[in-house]
Amino acid sequence: MDIEENDELKTKHRKVAAYLSIFPGGGQYYNKQFLKGLFFTVTAISFFVVFYDLFNIGFWGLITLGEVPMEDHSIFLLVQGIIAVIVLAFGLLLYGLNIYDAFKAGKRRDQQLGKPSIREQYRNLIDSGFPYLMITPGFFLLIFVVIFPIIFVVLLSFTSYDVNNRPPARLIEWVGFKNYIEIFQLDLWRRTFFSVFTWTLVWTFVATTIQIAIGIFLAVLLNQEGVKFKRTVRTIFILPWAVPAFVSILVFAGMFNNTFGTINIHILDFFGIDPVPWMTNPLYTKIALIMIQSWLGFPFIFVMVTGVLQSIPNELYEAAKVDGASIWQKFKSVTFPIIMYASAPILITQYTFNFNNFNVIFLFNGGGPPVSGQNAGSSDILISWIYKLTLEQSQYGKAAAITLLLSLLVITVAIWQFRRTRAFKEEGMM
Amino acid sequence: MAKRLFLFLVLVFAASVVLVACGPDRDSGGDSDGGADGDSPEQEKPEELLVWADEDKAEGIEGAIAAFEEEYGIEVVVEELEMATRQREQLNLDGPAGTGPDVLTLPHDQIGGVASQGLIAPLEVEQDVIDIYTESSIDAVTFEGEVYGLPKATETPVLFYNKEHLDEAPDTFDELFEFSQDFTDGDNYGYLALWDNYYFAHGILASYGGFVFEDQDGTLDPSTIGLNNDGAVEAAEYIQMWYEEGLFPDGIIGEAGGSTKTGLFEEGRVAASMDGPWAVQGLNNAGVDFGVSPMPELPNGEYAQTFVGVKSWNVSNYSEYKDWSTELVTWLANEENSLERFQLVNEIPPIASLIDDPAIAEDPVAEAVAIQSQRGIPMPNIPQMDEVWGPMADALQLIAIGDQEPEEALDEAVEVIRTNIETNFGE
Amino acid sequence: MSMKTEKIIRLTLTYFVILIVSAVILYPIIWIVGSSLNPGNSLSSSQVIPDNATLTHYKSLFNLEESQYLIWYMNTLIICFSTMIITVIMIALMAYSFSRYRFVGRKYGLMTFLILQMIPNFAALIAIYILAVVTGLIDTHILLILIYVGGLLPMNTWLAKGYFETIPHDLDDSAKIDGAGHFRIFWSIILPLVKPILAVIALFAFITPFTDFILARILLRSPENYTLAVGLYDMVANNYGAEFTKFAAGAVLIAIPIGLVFLSLQRYLISGLTSGGTKG
Repeated sequence: MDIEENDELKTKHRKVAAYLSIFPGGGQYYNKQFLKGLFFTVTAISFFVVFYDLFNIGFWGLITLGEVPMEDHSIFLLVQGIIAVIVLAFGLLLYGLNIYDAFKAGKRRDQQLGKPSIREQYRNLIDSGFPYLMITPGFFLLIFVVIFPIIFVVLLSFTSYDVNNRPPARLIEWVGFKNYIEIFQLDLWRRTFFSVFTWTLVWTFVATTIQIAIGIFLAVLLNQEGVKFKRTVRTIFILPWAVPAFVSILVFAGMFNNTFGTINIHILDFFGIDPVPWMTNPLYTKIALIMIQSWLGFPFIFVMVTGVLQSIPNELYEAAKVDGASIWQKFKSVTFPIIMYASAPILITQYTFNFNNFNVIFLFNGGGPPVSGQNAGSSDILISWIYKLTLEQSQYGKAAAITLLLSLLVITVAIWQFRRTRAFKEEGMM
Repeated sequence: MAKRLFLFLVLVFAASVVLVACGPDRDSGGDSDGGADGDSPEQEKPEELLVWADEDKAEGIEGAIAAFEEEYGIEVVVEELEMATRQREQLNLDGPAGTGPDVLTLPHDQIGGVASQGLIAPLEVEQDVIDIYTESSIDAVTFEGEVYGLPKATETPVLFYNKEHLDEAPDTFDELFEFSQDFTDGDNYGYLALWDNYYFAHGILASYGGFVFEDQDGTLDPSTIGLNNDGAVEAAEYIQMWYEEGLFPDGIIGEAGGSTKTGLFEEGRVAASMDGPWAVQGLNNAGVDFGVSPMPELPNGEYAQTFVGVKSWNVSNYSEYKDWSTELVTWLANEENSLERFQLVNEIPPIASLIDDPAIAEDPVAEAVAIQSQRGIPMPNIPQMDEVWGPMADALQLIAIGDQEPEEALDEAVEVIRTNIETNFGE
Repeated sequence: MSMKTEKIIRLTLTYFVILIVSAVILYPIIWIVGSSLNPGNSLSSSQVIPDNATLTHYKSLFNLEESQYLIWYMNTLIICFSTMIITVIMIALMAYSFSRYRFVGRKYGLMTFLILQMIPNFAALIAIYILAVVTGLIDTHILLILIYVGGLLPMNTWLAKGYFETIPHDLDDSAKIDGAGHFRIFWSIILPLVKPILAVIALFAFITPFTDFILARILLRSPENYTLAVGLYDMVANNYGAEFTKFAAGAVLIAIPIGLVFLSLQRYLISGLTSGGTKG
């Protein structure tokens, strides 16, 4: 910031105070802020007293993952270690604050501004502290719900935790990149990974695009002048969203049953079409999945686009009408660009959602039908494969490694998308 | 410069905290994460023991538990938890956290895995306690020379038939096949079996000469797999025929197939069905007039060598009172309490002296299961067995759908099993 | 004249499409309602229009001796309402901070969490489970509520922040000049104006516990603590074909209340999503 200018100040109170704060509170005493200093000292001491055990066991466990089988449980130690890291991070935050505070107070002395009154300090605290106060509860929750699991997965992917290496009888070891290497080195794993990966991409792209197209189409259709019963129809169109997805998917699983499902025995029969092997043929299962996801996913797009359409001023269309534009031309040059402009970020989140859409894959056919010679079913996407690897096959290390590979991809796409987003540029954030 | 200073100070501080961590102080034994320490014979009496019983089966031991409490003055808490998957999953994490049970119940095919993971403890019981059980059931719960549980129930698939459609059980599969061809018409089915599930298909494969792991003087060798030998392929062809002829509908293939099949049979739309003794309760509720018999003779003149499963009572390795837990297991699995349990929840105990007991001998289901058990073979209990189920189910499904020829499908399944065993259990 | 014919053709086609789409939407719904009224138990015997419709499956769900459906329903409602209330409060506070204050972490904080949340956490379920066992929160509803709230925060704060931005800053500036404190500005000036987006978020929060069956299945272990999703899933997972009609009845009973809430909030849904989502 304005360090250069600061260095020209004659006295060096700010630096002395900062160095003295290596011992928490030291700088504050030097600045004659005894109450504050006492606060930092006491906090620091109690921090160590309270968390001594956690740090001791936590960091030791994190490094060694245990030494005596049956007595040390590597996974518990790993969890404890992560908690220790998180607690330490909070400690560091406080410690940094302690140094920073001493530095700032010292600077005021250097600038000969005098000590702020208690009242002033209080006002200051409230003004700058208010937003922190409001976000702190949420932040704490996020640390445990979002950050903690991610640290665990990252660490897990470098361990030997699998079906044959399970505590307590065995200790888990750090194995570096072994899991990552093996996914690409072992034939079976490589084959499975690429076949699942390919289908994941196809699935994400096709299913999402179709659901977006249907949503936009229906919204535009219903927004035409002269269409009656708009409210009723809109209500019907929202229904698939209003029914919990897991229920609908299970219902679809019953409807698509080869022998007893209503699709084969009633609908296709009505049109004189032979029964289709929905559940046992990979291609038909995939088609069914895409149809189901379209059914489930279009209402959200429909609702959003309807909102956008209602906000388009009529004059735009009037102008187009004067120019003698056809319906299609109007859609192409007025409606569609506005929809895209307004809702592109949300539309793109639909792609990341489907990339990780576990429910529909798992509940419809459990990733089946099987394909020979690989570790996953033919309709498995990466996320459902990861589920099977952890919850059914106990391949924790590899599942974590695949999770991270997958995340790398999703996150890259997401960041790229957010960077392009208008809102960000407007705020000059990136 | 100020920024760099902060960073430096903060890092130094962090490093010092990490470096002082030197692990648990073992001498004082202050913080043992798990594993009971005291195993003295004169163990102190616990206040309370926790038992995990199988779903819907706790009522079968109520009497025995009450008597145990009376006798020893130890309170016993019984919780019901589904046995096949959840007990193992939860013991895995509840054990070390100290909230696990003292006594639990497991199917024997998990014993190898769970024991080598160190979750259950070998039982130290007198020979005369072990002697009351059939030899094969004790084999089933023995892993690497140690007995890890006392047998609670034995089960194996048998033939259920609906008396409305069949007067008596057919003697041979050929008969059943012919009957099925007449009877099956799209609404009704002559005979149904889940032969896309290896648990049920094994009976056929084994009779034709297939095997999972080679048995070398009582120990199984996971490096020799017999699931794609000539016999296994012939058996798979036989299985495929049932599907090809349209006798088994597509709708019972796959994971949801079992319950669909059960539904059909309970509605009276199936004449005969291969199922385990656990199906009895549902059939009684549905009011089906059914008979039970051992599996018929296969076309090659052999009987189906079905998988025999033994459920046992086990002691958690995390229990602090292993001696008392063992005492409780012995109590629960003794003749008297086993008989009572059979009468309440129909679990057939593999106790030699009870097989001729009128209560069991005159029960048609128990009788059929007893005969079939003698023809069957125990499921392998080594941990490598975990790698067999998935690939075999995949292969059998492909065979059932007709997407792959039996030989090709089985070859590929064995390849996957072998790779997984090498990757996971090699080294 | 030709304009009129064109309009008639266009509208006819429109109605035709609407009809077909409605049929596709309604068929599964009618089918499941029909299944739930079937006298039989299994999937194989269920008909769209049952010959002799019966309410037995509903009755058996409501019979406490036969099923714990009602208990699950209670549990779910408790979890839903708690999740909803906590989420709305936290998000209102967070979105307000993010839209009105400058502070460390404002720039990238929300974004970071939004992106981190895309990492699937199946592999970490074990860690969450251990944490739950150690803290004694396993098998409690509090744990689930906390996890749901945490999961809902980033995306919905993002949505709400977008909506908060549409409210002119002049409003709070003039209030500040009048001497209103931080909290008063938030409470009596901003809050009444952002009701639509809070309604949308309340709805999202409310339905989350209804739809999650994985986390709840792993973290709840005694049947009397189950949520509807877990209970119903367990019922089908073990007995899909054989107890299908009972499942259908359970599904209908879940869908009706959620559907009603959804439809009654339709108006907010459109306005809230549009400005929240697009300005975000």
